[in-house]
Amino acid sequence: MVKLAARFSLPRQRNYPLMLLFTLLLLVASAVFSLTLGSAAISINEIIAVLFGTAGTPALADTVIWQIRLPRLLCAMLVGAGLAVSGAILQNVSRNPLADPYLFGLMAGAGLGATIVSVVLPPQLFSVAVGAFAGALFAVALVFVFCAGQHWRKVEVTLLAGVAVSFMLSALSSFILYFAEPFAANRVMFWLMGSLSRTDWQSVLLLAPVTFLVLLLALALRRQLDALLLSDESARTLGVNTSRLRLVLLLATALLTACIVSQCGGIAFVGLMIPHLVRRLFGVTSVHLLTGSALLGALFLIWVDNLARTVLPQQEIPLGVITSLVGSLFFLTLMRTKQT
Amino acid sequence: MLKVSGLSLQLGNQLVLQDIAFSLPQQGILGVIGPNGAGKSSLLKLISRALSPTSGQILLRQRPLSQYTNQQLARTLAVVSQHPPPLFALSVFQVAAMGLLPHKSWFETTSSSDRASVSRALNKVGLSAKSEALIDTLSGGELQRLYIARALVQQPTLLLLDEPTNHLDVQYQHQVLQLLRELNIPVLVCIHDLNLAALYCDNLLLLDKGQQVAFGTPEQVLQHQQLQQVFALACQVSRHPALDKLQITFLPPGAA
Repeated sequence: MVKLAARFSLPRQRNYPLMLLFTLLLLVASAVFSLTLGSAAISINEIIAVLFGTAGTPALADTVIWQIRLPRLLCAMLVGAGLAVSGAILQNVSRNPLADPYLFGLMAGAGLGATIVSVVLPPQLFSVAVGAFAGALFAVALVFVFCAGQHWRKVEVTLLAGVAVSFMLSALSSFILYFAEPFAANRVMFWLMGSLSRTDWQSVLLLAPVTFLVLLLALALRRQLDALLLSDESARTLGVNTSRLRLVLLLATALLTACIVSQCGGIAFVGLMIPHLVRRLFGVTSVHLLTGSALLGALFLIWVDNLARTVLPQQEIPLGVITSLVGSLFFLTLMRTKQT
Repeated sequence: MLKVSGLSLQLGNQLVLQDIAFSLPQQGILGVIGPNGAGKSSLLKLISRALSPTSGQILLRQRPLSQYTNQQLARTLAVVSQHPPPLFALSVFQVAAMGLLPHKSWFETTSSSDRASVSRALNKVGLSAKSEALIDTLSGGELQRLYIARALVQQPTLLLLDEPTNHLDVQYQHQVLQLLRELNIPVLVCIHDLNLAALYCDNLLLLDKGQQVAFGTPEQVLQHQQLQQVFALACQVSRHPALDKLQITFLPPGAA
């Protein structure tokens, strides 16, 4: 597995400033283009006028951009960046190239929380987002309680505990949905497959600070993260408290992922695929990996959401369906091109 | 520089090291020798604080090892040991630059003088030309020299090495040990090969089953009777005519 990951990750760090600039430009262009997409036809000129508050812009365009499209776009960027950064951090701290942000049964926990709120509790008591957030944190808490003391220092124990908790909470969700009315299952399933349709400015206000704080924390700890790439023992001889570093970063990414899941459900493969792509395009060390993941993750999810909104008329495709399809094809293509 | 007294380590029911005492002066190479299971690596782990002693004391620059913070220790003492292949392919320069870590705060950037000190270290171990190469393209000897370069970037006052010549071809074994001689900082090295130890070390510490058998110059430690007893094999100790160093030849069982 390690060999495979190393083959995936040939550094191209001399291209880093160029890649950074190119991705940034592409991100801005994609964001503006994304604002033009939707049932109400709004031109780029109108969008620029709305964004800069020029007098005389149509009220409809103003409302559509400020209340619907802009918060959704910002959420897409924050969710993409957050998932990719979390995946990058987790792959390094768990020394597992297949780690992704849903490592600790977060998705299963969020699913259970959403299911309980939608099916078991009286309607309108809590929103699905609150239920999902609580469920995701519950899953992380279960993993950490199990791994308390010496156990969590062993990465493989943490990973296995995450898998076990994931299956346990999924079984509970399935059990509740089995006895629920048929539409409840549909509602929960659609939401769990990932959607930005419920996001608003409140989501942006929640996701923006958490995403930036986790990114900042990881950048501050970049040298420690790099040292972990060789081995724990090697990092310790450089003065790194590996156990504390791991705990802090695992908790930070768990919190970020729980916030993301609560706002838009589960969007698979972003956190797994983007960091591998970034290592090839931007470089392996943490500065390249983290900044590249944030930008490329944001760019990727803008286009996934564009597709989700426009492929079928009058209907949205769950984001997780598109990301899983693209992600799996990406990995298969990569392995095939590497073998030949 | 380093003073060890009454050092013992018990892991579970097993007494791994018992009553070890020696000191390492400001200069020179101290070789720790002994058969497998003698406690050489455990001693290194105690000195690098990867393990805590059951009893005894380790003084590093007249200060108890336990009083050092992680960062202070990493600035004073560098460890070179065997590593598994890295998770993702890093370049030679990136691995050597990891040695900057103990000297940097959270948001401090890598300055041009930092980069110069990494380049100097790579130059010292003869890897300047390969600084952009990926480390999975290096030979065993080059890899070992790279880890020594990383240790040098830490600017330590003491260097610890665990079996640095293991799995290396003969020319690389000599290359690595010759490099240690040229560093001009005190070095403590665990080493299997007694002839290499005799050739390159100023002092030797002979361990057997966790006990200290002898400590002193190679002439004091590499004594015929002592070696036969510890390694349970007949041996001859002679002096190389050209190098004026001791030479040890172990004889096959029954050949004595």
